[in-house]
Amino acid sequence: MNVPTESPLVLAGWDFRQTPVELRERIAFSPEKVREALTAMRQEGLLAEGVILSTCNRSEVYGVIGGGLAGRDPIQAMTEFIARFHGVPHGEIEAAGYRFSGIDAVRHLMRVAAGLESLALGEDQIIGQVREAFRLATGAGATKAVLHRLFQKALETGKRVRSETGLGTRPISIPGVAIELAQKIFEDLAPRKFLILGAGETSSIFYDLLLAKGALNIEVVNRTLARSQELCRRGGAAFPWEELSARLPKADVVISATSATAPILTMEMARKAMTQRRGQPLFFLDLGIPRNVDPTVAGLENAFLYAVDDLQEIAERNRLERQNEIEPAMAILEEEIGKFVAWLGSLAVVPTITSLHQKFEAIREVEFDQRLDQLTHIPEGDREKIRLIAKSMVRALLRNPTDAIKDEPDPGRRLDRAEVARHLFDLDVRGE
Amino acid sequence: MRALSPTESAQRVQPLSKMELMWGQTSLSAITLILYAAAEGTSIAHLRTDRKPYGKATSLLLLAGFLIHWVALYAGARAADSVPYRDLPASMSFFAWVVIGAYGILLLKHRESSTGPFLIPISLLFLIVSIFTNQNGQGALKDPGLTGPLFAMHVTMAIIGYAALSLSFVLAQLYLIQNKQIRRRHLGLLFSRLPALDVLTRLHRTAVAIGLGALTVAAVLGLIWARINWGTYWDPKVLFTFLIIGIYLFTLFPRWIGWGGKKIALLSVTGFMFVLFSYTIVNLFISQGHTFK
Repeated sequence: MNVPTESPLVLAGWDFRQTPVELRERIAFSPEKVREALTAMRQEGLLAEGVILSTCNRSEVYGVIGGGLAGRDPIQAMTEFIARFHGVPHGEIEAAGYRFSGIDAVRHLMRVAAGLESLALGEDQIIGQVREAFRLATGAGATKAVLHRLFQKALETGKRVRSETGLGTRPISIPGVAIELAQKIFEDLAPRKFLILGAGETSSIFYDLLLAKGALNIEVVNRTLARSQELCRRGGAAFPWEELSARLPKADVVISATSATAPILTMEMARKAMTQRRGQPLFFLDLGIPRNVDPTVAGLENAFLYAVDDLQEIAERNRLERQNEIEPAMAILEEEIGKFVAWLGSLAVVPTITSLHQKFEAIREVEFDQRLDQLTHIPEGDREKIRLIAKSMVRALLRNPTDAIKDEPDPGRRLDRAEVARHLFDLDVRGE
Repeated sequence: MRALSPTESAQRVQPLSKMELMWGQTSLSAITLILYAAAEGTSIAHLRTDRKPYGKATSLLLLAGFLIHWVALYAGARAADSVPYRDLPASMSFFAWVVIGAYGILLLKHRESSTGPFLIPISLLFLIVSIFTNQNGQGALKDPGLTGPLFAMHVTMAIIGYAALSLSFVLAQLYLIQNKQIRRRHLGLLFSRLPALDVLTRLHRTAVAIGLGALTVAAVLGLIWARINWGTYWDPKVLFTFLIIGIYLFTLFPRWIGWGGKKIALLSVTGFMFVLFSYTIVNLFISQGHTFK
């Protein structure tokens, strides 16, 4: 299936694969910049419609080409604008990005929304970012029929891929795996007690993650009390190292990430804690290298122990599993791309005009010719003349709307007019 | 139009004969079996793929099966002029019906569908045995005293109790599976689909509480009934029932013995072995009062 030759869709993008982070930072768009750039590009006639997707991993400009290009290559004109807008040499950004038009642009957006272009394959943050980009553009009045439909379709497809394939089901990061495991022991983490050992970078990452999960009960034990107090400034309680044995039996999940060179949680301490917990499970997450928790603790009844190597192995396995889901995801994508392209084809001007004329002719035949035939008192010769008058009347009626669609120089606006005609006259237009 | 006289109405609407009721019960039970078997298929597909249409299909098939099963039980009871569990096959069919009912409660209250593929087979097994050993009331308890509300309540509560304990058995098994997966770091399909350990523990406790409550009521009613009709409290079944109640009490209050998790699940499985023993061997060979002769 092909996008009609008059397809006006274009895309210029820069992502983590091809563009160094320093350059990506320079051509990133804040929400204000998005609005500003979209307005300027439309005012200059480069684009009739536009959406800018800007995340830490990518900057992409999707557009329906405008009427002010004066014979210039639309993507070239767009990248020149972006270079100018960000004050970056054009040559530098031109060499670092990718450009697509027509069906390839459609496919790229669908892949992005499905998480197939993401750094972490299948991650679902991107779908929110695509939705936000679409919302910003719509708010700036920069989307009309084509991009509106395209982005809605991409968002739907992204959701469909996630619900029908295993692409985004299993976590592929160490914290993600750790949280998934914890949630298979305690479904609701919010009311659980967490004990974090250490106050370094890893502890801080988990502390933030737990807060985000709604955990209300976090305790931090560290050799330097001041550092644990610093970590707990947004909630939780800091305890001195001597309190470790006393805090241990009260915790449901222990996250240990200290730089100790020997296990700080011994079998003896764990055994005591488990006895005091009287059959309640305790989940030990040992993120220390070397290990912070004596590995034999894993043998204790109702104690679950995962070390960083275990988590890494699971994350890797999940990553491989996600790779296997690319094919089924692509099958869904191609199906949805097909539907969008068929719709876009139906918007094409020529089929719309043909269909408009056919509709009017059909009405004329049913409403006029058949009734005229019933007026038998009018001689046949006169009836033929009346028929010709009616035909030329229909042509005269359609002349203005036909020209208004056909002769519109702005391709985006041309499609909009075709879309309006399609709706007003309920035209059944099939794509090419 | 002339209204029909009561005699004419009675002539036109003939009550179903016993033969028709028995035939109806058998064919409806067969339809139920097909529906439950299909529900088992869709519930496995749901567990494997996590796709909603399979979940919906399972619910609908089970609902249809549950309703038709009820009609079959009703027809059977009418044919035998008695409660639906007048003989062993009929009581097994009633048990199969209550198990599906218990699963329905789990679905409605907890949206917990992953137990389906493990629970429906229990119902299927009992229904199959019931259909193939159906004696159409010939094997019914002959003691004329085995009637009245006290007896009916005794048997109903016992079967509800057994069904709830079957559910707890499945939940205990699922706990053991999930526990093993997490311990062995084998995070496969079942790890993803089965609920968290604490959810399984909670559901298990609810099922045991209901089962234990129903079984205790059944035992007390049975004792009262036995005292009135036989003049004695003694029946070997009593011993087994109190043993079962004792075992399950510990699973309900694990802190009494400081146990938790896997040990409690294993204790629950052991308890269920006694339930099976009590329901089959004790009924058939040991307890005179519970033998279907």
